[in-house]
Amino acid sequence: MIELCNVSKDFGPTPAVSDFSLKIESGAFFVLIGPSGCGKSTVLRMINAMIVPDKGHIEVRGENIRAMEPEKLRRGIGYVIQSAGLFPHWTAADNILAVPHLLKWSPSKCAARLDALVTMVGIEAALLERYPKQLSGGQQQRIGVARALAADPDIILMDEPFAALDPVSRVALQEELRGIHARSGKTIVFVTHDMDEALRLATGMAVMNNGRLIQAGTPASILLAPADDFVRDFLGGESLQLRLLDLVPVRKLMKPGNARATGTIAAEASLKAALNLMLARRCASLGVEGERGARLGEIHLSDIIARRDAS
Amino acid sequence: MPKVHDRVLLALSTLGLAGVFFGGFLNFAPNRLATGVAYPLSQAPSLQAAAAMAGLCGLALLSFARAQKLWSFATILAAALILWGSLAGAGHFAAILMQAGPPAARASLGPAFWTLASVAILAIVDAVQRGDFGFLARASIGAAICAGFFLMAAAGDFDNLSLAREFLNNRGVFVTELFRHLGLVGAAIFFALMIGVPLSVLVLREKAAAGFVLAGLGVLQTIPSIALFGVLIAPMSKLSEELPFLRSLGINGTGPAPAVLALTLYALLPLVRGFYTGFSEVAVEVKDAAAAIGFGWRRRFIEVELPLALPALVSGLRVVTIQAIGFASVAALIGAGGLGTFIFQGIGQYALDLVLVGALPVIVLALLVNLTFEMLLGLARRNL
Repeated sequence: MIELCNVSKDFGPTPAVSDFSLKIESGAFFVLIGPSGCGKSTVLRMINAMIVPDKGHIEVRGENIRAMEPEKLRRGIGYVIQSAGLFPHWTAADNILAVPHLLKWSPSKCAARLDALVTMVGIEAALLERYPKQLSGGQQQRIGVARALAADPDIILMDEPFAALDPVSRVALQEELRGIHARSGKTIVFVTHDMDEALRLATGMAVMNNGRLIQAGTPASILLAPADDFVRDFLGGESLQLRLLDLVPVRKLMKPGNARATGTIAAEASLKAALNLMLARRCASLGVEGERGARLGEIHLSDIIARRDAS
Repeated sequence: MPKVHDRVLLALSTLGLAGVFFGGFLNFAPNRLATGVAYPLSQAPSLQAAAAMAGLCGLALLSFARAQKLWSFATILAAALILWGSLAGAGHFAAILMQAGPPAARASLGPAFWTLASVAILAIVDAVQRGDFGFLARASIGAAICAGFFLMAAAGDFDNLSLAREFLNNRGVFVTELFRHLGLVGAAIFFALMIGVPLSVLVLREKAAAGFVLAGLGVLQTIPSIALFGVLIAPMSKLSEELPFLRSLGINGTGPAPAVLALTLYALLPLVRGFYTGFSEVAVEVKDAAAAIGFGWRRRFIEVELPLALPALVSGLRVVTIQAIGFASVAALIGAGGLGTFIFQGIGQYALDLVLVGALPVIVLALLVNLTFEMLLGLARRNL
């Protein structure tokens, strides 16, 4: 779907990205992560030709982007940035429909799409006629996400989209985005420096440092086998094991059993949540419940500790 | 003690009262050179004087009332009463005094009149702004006030005032000089745009050039206008001596050419600075987002950057125009004509009313231009 082959880019004397190769499969929620200035935003901006690499080539949907008109390429790729970057002189609705207008959609098609987007991203209809400065940060970013989705592109690039939001809006938007990804099967390339955010969202991820790709894989494979000390430290050092628990649902380690327990937990909750509840209740086992509160089995502390690769 | 709700209005009405008590309303002199006698408002025809005083008291009382739409109307009405009362009072008073005086006698408006007129106009402007009137309401208020003035003028109410006499004596020349003035300003703004727009593009493209260009234009701006007009005379006459084709175009050391050149130079700094700040203050993220979702550069400029920079552009143009209207008065000194002609003629002949024939229209022009640009600015900022 997206392939970067031996891509390099210099800004002045220091290389921003060097010899970077990566393949992102169709339908992935792919997170580029690394410390500030590691080149992850540069990589992202090369995918929609906002930055042209000095060396190497990039293919999108099997086509070398150098052969494409940049405007045309960009209209087919959604783009969201940290500050939303909404046009301050346009209403929220006009902002959302920016790309459909560029593509000269008919008014009725635009209206129908707007309706669909408002439901999809969770925007109150009353906000549509407001101007960006009349919206909160969270509302602005929802409009920004809706703008990226407007023309129904199969690829969306997001550059630290939720970094400036308060924790509550951030988690709400992350959930919204995860749902949108699951339902639509779009390919999302997402840049962040927040490991919790990355682990919450990613189906695949790449860790970068100093313009180089250090390790790529699924979140679990990276957590289980960090390539080097940098990755280990970046993943959180001491809390690495706890983070790993965050990736595994209780369902995977559940055993049959119906013993009386001091607490119950949902089968889809993470092992980390289970461990947290055990610590809170000072107990070594919990009952496991299904979606409607039906008892499914139980989970034991010893199993969590003894767990091998549970993913 | 009742609560003061509007300090501005109270200050204005106090100022008006002070003017009435301490300043002469009409100055009557047997001829242009004699000092003459100052007559207070109390000796003016009683009906008009009473109207003006009633308006003034009304304003003072209104400053204790809570601001409402009705309040704005009442304020405008009271102010109009002051304005019309003092205008008619001055006219009729002058007629009475002139009947008894010698033919060369002059009745000129005194400080009390000017204070009352300014107070009335300021009160109207303030009330209109606070009243949050729509465009149509503002226009009709302005039209009504002006209509009163022109009706009185047409009825010959002002014919005995020396200001009106000076104006009527120069009526033909006045129109010529007014258009000359506007021509100087228009030409200067045209040339300033021709030079300023490319210069702004340069400054925006090459950030390194920005400091240099703006500093250079800043130096130009600090040269006093008379000095700049004077400095241009020598090189311009030299130039027209060397190049006969320039001379055939009427370009000389004196006259409109150096005046337009000087006005253009003055206009460049505010213009380029307005363009520079306007475009450079468009948020980087917004430009970036526009490019990233597939706007081409032309569309990005027209649909995003231009509308966002527009308020600063209009502000820059406003400063430039108002400044040029003022500076163009000085251009009369180097023979460029314009309304300044009356000002310098009046100073030379010790005819202060003739000075006003030049100065008042300059003020009115500047105010009108300001008003127009305020409206344009309102439009440009509508959605920002």
